[in-house]
Amino acid sequence: MSRPYTLDELLVIAVAREIHDYENVVLGVGVPMTAGALAKAIFAPHATLMMESGIVDIRPLLSLNNIADAHSARGFSYATDLFSSFTATYRGFVDVCFLGVAQVDKFGNLNTTVIGDYENPVMRLPGSGGASDFISYARRTVLTIRGGTFVNKLDYFTSPGYLDGGDSRDRTGLFPKGSGPSALISNKGVFRFDTVTKEMYLAEIFPGVEIQSIKNEIPWDLQVAPNLSVTQRPTDEEISFIRNFAPEMSAGRELTSELRAARIREKARQRARSNV
Amino acid sequence: MEESSGKVMSAKEAVERFVQDGDELIIGNYTVGSCAELVYEIIRQGRKGFTLYSQSGIFDVEVLVAGGCVSRLVTAYVMRSGGKKGGSAVERALKAKTIELEDYSNFQYNARLMAGLHGFSFMPVLESVKVTDIFHKRGFMGENKFRLIQCPFTGREVVAVPAANPDVCVIHVQRADAEGNAQYWGAMGSVAAAALASKRIIVSCEEIVEHDIIQSSPHLTIIPAYRVNAVVEIPWGAHPTEVLGYYNVDTFMYNGLFSTAAASEDGLKDWMDEWIYGCPDRMAYIDHYIQRFGVETLNELRARPLYSAPANYGAAFTSHWDRDGRERSMGVTLPQLEKILKERGKMYE
Repeated sequence: MSRPYTLDELLVIAVAREIHDYENVVLGVGVPMTAGALAKAIFAPHATLMMESGIVDIRPLLSLNNIADAHSARGFSYATDLFSSFTATYRGFVDVCFLGVAQVDKFGNLNTTVIGDYENPVMRLPGSGGASDFISYARRTVLTIRGGTFVNKLDYFTSPGYLDGGDSRDRTGLFPKGSGPSALISNKGVFRFDTVTKEMYLAEIFPGVEIQSIKNEIPWDLQVAPNLSVTQRPTDEEISFIRNFAPEMSAGRELTSELRAARIREKARQRARSNV
Repeated sequence: MEESSGKVMSAKEAVERFVQDGDELIIGNYTVGSCAELVYEIIRQGRKGFTLYSQSGIFDVEVLVAGGCVSRLVTAYVMRSGGKKGGSAVERALKAKTIELEDYSNFQYNARLMAGLHGFSFMPVLESVKVTDIFHKRGFMGENKFRLIQCPFTGREVVAVPAANPDVCVIHVQRADAEGNAQYWGAMGSVAAAALASKRIIVSCEEIVEHDIIQSSPHLTIIPAYRVNAVVEIPWGAHPTEVLGYYNVDTFMYNGLFSTAAASEDGLKDWMDEWIYGCPDRMAYIDHYIQRFGVETLNELRARPLYSAPANYGAAFTSHWDRDGRERSMGVTLPQLEKILKERGKMYE
């Protein structure tokens, strides 16, 4: 029996398994960065990790704060600029890119811009960043969802997945043939897209998770693969990599904030004492 | 220091002279190493009515918006510092309708600067945008957010964005000389494009260095002196963000104090009162920080060195005349050359 793990850790590991050796990989903020580092360290040592800030071929030593974080490594191989990162993607040099999701529909279209009406927002989200262009031109895209929602209709269409499903994406002539989302990974399971209808279906479920708890979060009648598999438990090596590399990922958002706040209070208290 | 061109000045003077109400203002930095002190000085001077450009808005955009400086925002990304619940100053301003916003993707935003910096009136962008709301939903730019044109060579429909040439760029870099040659390394992002597309440029830097340092490493220079209006030396000028080779991000201040404060309008106002309005310049800010949290909190962030392998800019020789005074290819000395020229009637009195 291997060590116990958290669902966020398994999410990172499932994402990392989508990276193949020798691939050119674009990493988005958060989960993908830790997943990329894990893949590079354990099973895709020749993958080239890059970020749209122009950092190319980085081997991170600790978790990254953002997509322009060069402090997380001892240098990197190629310092290009943002414009060239996207034109390289446009020309077909990016095998896989990883994006986080706020709202996603059944065909893998994304909203990361706004909840509610665009003119009268309920919640203003960050916006496209690089997402819209990357999911359009990377050979494939892996989506991650942590705190986002599945919806029938996006409040704002930021980034194109399979549009209306079927061959509608290819039919526009605007995208490289065969590109689009290849998987969506949550902290409950792995979804893939039907080769014909392009509708999302549940392909893998995390150990101990009930199908119904996944279905409860999805407003349409979610299809489940007839050969639904249970995601492999993480190995000790994978778990210890994450805990060393990104302890805040293991801790999760809430606990991280709680402990950080406690530390600020403690520091202020110590300071007040020593000033007396 | 050698005789200076008069570009070296304080943040206060630079903002007074080169930033005006109603300007199109661009934050040159992208996601890391923001020009925090220049931004704070703009807020302290109460400048208003900006059309603010930011590739990726972090705390810098939030404090400018919360400080009432911004009328319009052009961006590809705005962080929610206050988290899912707390939101951001930008969200609050959008709800109160005190700012207008134009949304682009990272590439489209940067393409506008690339057009501007090269002197073109537009730049093509990646055509998939046509199916998205980024294309369909227009803000204050209306029809001019995107236009469709036909490629004269392939006949294909091309999506174009208009050039951006902001009035003034504020930017923080690692080092510069007194003339304004600005050196920056790390995540290049759209940092150079933001500066070079702009009409005026204010550079702040961790340190001002001698000109010969710049000359020995021109590959690090992203802005040439002739484009720069002001050079401001500001150690810790990007704090709480990070500057590669100088210091790491201060998560204690940023993810802790600032993010907690940014979750509410009053919280952010208190934070700005303490850290922006309450500190007349960066030295006062750092003094205040040390007083509150101790110098060791700051010292923990200082970068340890990892020097780039030097690039060899050397040459075999830097004079045509060898040690014996002979011209290297002709084999004669200067007096000999002059004598020959005279003998052949080529010299005039």
